[in-house]
Amino acid sequence: MGLITEKLPKMMAGMPGSDIIFTRMDAVINWARANSLWPLTFGTSCCAIEMMMAPGASRHDLARFGAEVARPSPRQADMLILAGTIVKRMAPRLRTLYEQMPEPRYVIATGACTISGGPFIYHSYSTVRGADTIIPVDVYVPGCPPRPEGLLYGLLTLQKMIRSGETVREPGIRHKPVTSETPEGITIEDIKSEMLALLEKDAVVDVRKAAEQMERPTGI
Amino acid sequence: MESEELFQYIASLEAAARPSEKPSDLPTIEVPPEHFLSLMQQLREDPRLYFNMLQVHTAVDWVKKGIFELLYQLYSTKDRQSLRVLVELPRENPVIASVCSIWRIAEWQEREVYDFFGVLYEGHPDLRRLFLEDDWKGFPMRKDYEDDFMLEPGQ
Repeated sequence: MGLITEKLPKMMAGMPGSDIIFTRMDAVINWARANSLWPLTFGTSCCAIEMMMAPGASRHDLARFGAEVARPSPRQADMLILAGTIVKRMAPRLRTLYEQMPEPRYVIATGACTISGGPFIYHSYSTVRGADTIIPVDVYVPGCPPRPEGLLYGLLTLQKMIRSGETVREPGIRHKPVTSETPEGITIEDIKSEMLALLEKDAVVDVRKAAEQMERPTGI
Repeated sequence: MESEELFQYIASLEAAARPSEKPSDLPTIEVPPEHFLSLMQQLREDPRLYFNMLQVHTAVDWVKKGIFELLYQLYSTKDRQSLRVLVELPRENPVIASVCSIWRIAEWQEREVYDFFGVLYEGHPDLRRLFLEDDWKGFPMRKDYEDDFMLEPGQ
């Protein structure tokens, strides 16, 4: 990658047709980057549980989007999911972790505490008011904590941003940070009715069907 | 041991210890600071009590009363018996004997209470800050703590 992203642009600058080649190359490189984001295992409080649910647990499988390989070392990771309150004592360590990650690196801030300090903004002696005061943040996922779907949507937003954002000729220059919020055209009533239907479906047990299944066990 | 029996036995060891009247889910005794260390030594070593585990040590800042209430929660792995010991200290001069020599775990627990409340422990081998940075000024869990970082201090 170093050859393509660092040396080639200088070698090919000014050649006829190089613009078209680079545009094609950007598309391929950004596609590859967006679909193999490796998150750093970094969680500081309760949002980390949601972060663990997203790649680790069933139902919310982060592997569908190519971001399931959680790395314990920042040198192997290229996405930092900030999950939880950042306190003053953690801030220098977080900065170190971020700087140890290889370029290009992306940051998703999840939850109220990480974005702004959340409930601790007024009276706390220790909570940092927003992780973006320490490191640059690409995508904000609001919530306290956000649901796993919210985190997945934040990841998709980041992927969209990567695909359309960076170019080989201008590495590091990206689109502005975005907030991952409810997409347009979906109202809170839609979400409520969908949740209600889902809850009813999960909570209501069809006794007859369950009994039939007990009589004829399958898959053994 | 039932709590009444426990209280009577502890009172026979150390007369200054008396049962607490505060609402509590555990048998609780209160002791003045000057009798504190000898009581704790006996609670640990007496064969009938044998409280060999210090589960919790923390403090409560009663700022209007002007006291720190130190809380020690003991447990006996032999008898599966719990006991809570409360000590009241003046806020102006919070000094108490360290129980590090009795339970080793108290070393960190006392460092934590020193870190947040500024309670001083006599006989502690290494009384430094545990969670906050070493150059931190003040003790933030005190109710009257204020610093420039807080947006609305004095809650």
